[in-house]
Amino acid sequence: MNSLDALTRLHDLDLLSQLVQDRAAAARLGALGFSPPGPAGLERVRARLAGSLERRWLSIYERAHARYGRGLAAVRDRVCQGCFITLPTAALPGPDAPMMCESCGRVLCWR
Amino acid sequence: MGITCVPVVPHLALCIPDLGPRKRDASLQHMLAHARDSGSLRDLDSIHDALLLRERLGPTAIGRGVAVPNARALAVLEPRWILARSARGIEWNAPDGQPVHLVLMVLSPPDWTVRAHVEAVARAAAITRLARARTRLLEARGAEEMAALVRQGTS
Repeated sequence: MNSLDALTRLHDLDLLSQLVQDRAAAARLGALGFSPPGPAGLERVRARLAGSLERRWLSIYERAHARYGRGLAAVRDRVCQGCFITLPTAALPGPDAPMMCESCGRVLCWR
Repeated sequence: MGITCVPVVPHLALCIPDLGPRKRDASLQHMLAHARDSGSLRDLDSIHDALLLRERLGPTAIGRGVAVPNARALAVLEPRWILARSARGIEWNAPDGQPVHLVLMVLSPPDWTVRAHVEAVARAAAITRLARARTRLLEARGAEEMAALVRQGTS
């Protein structure tokens, strides 16, 4: 798994954690018959994923996650979907390479 | 005074009237492959992993032969529902031990709030709450009739 794959999984895991930590959401889903995922299991998986990442990218991700609630943003038509700035034409990493948005600091996913 | 945002019912991207795989993981993969082919997904592997993780931590089968696997994920381009039916049933670790015959997958883009996603999941689950509605979906003659029943259930 490359860095961007691991960051994407970490991002999706953090979205699931937000749902688990939201009491109203958890109560509503429980009333519908869903088994709520335990926070301990989520934390274990998160620690494993975070441990597999390069320290530099993990640090960039965590900083943006703490600031905005999401550390990763998709790119559509050269626009960062986190802060909606148009990225410079010189910025063109490979599809598997992470890159940081110079405007908002989120990790960018170009796929 | 708080403002409540009620999301629209996501577009029903696909109906699969005869889901082939009998295993949960393969069924999810099959449904996601259809969604990707219809242009709803950016990347199949990461969303498959997100759904499998959710299932490992707590199954999304809600009993009475119904499962509502759901995720908010980066790979989702637009909110989508994908409905699949399995005549033979799928093993899903349901709380009542019954195999799953109806799968309503709810996929939300990452910028949706927790509240909007939960609302979409609740609406999807509500479609199959009544025994009569489940029977109609199981007896529908094809994808178009299934889609019509879902539209009727959400209107």
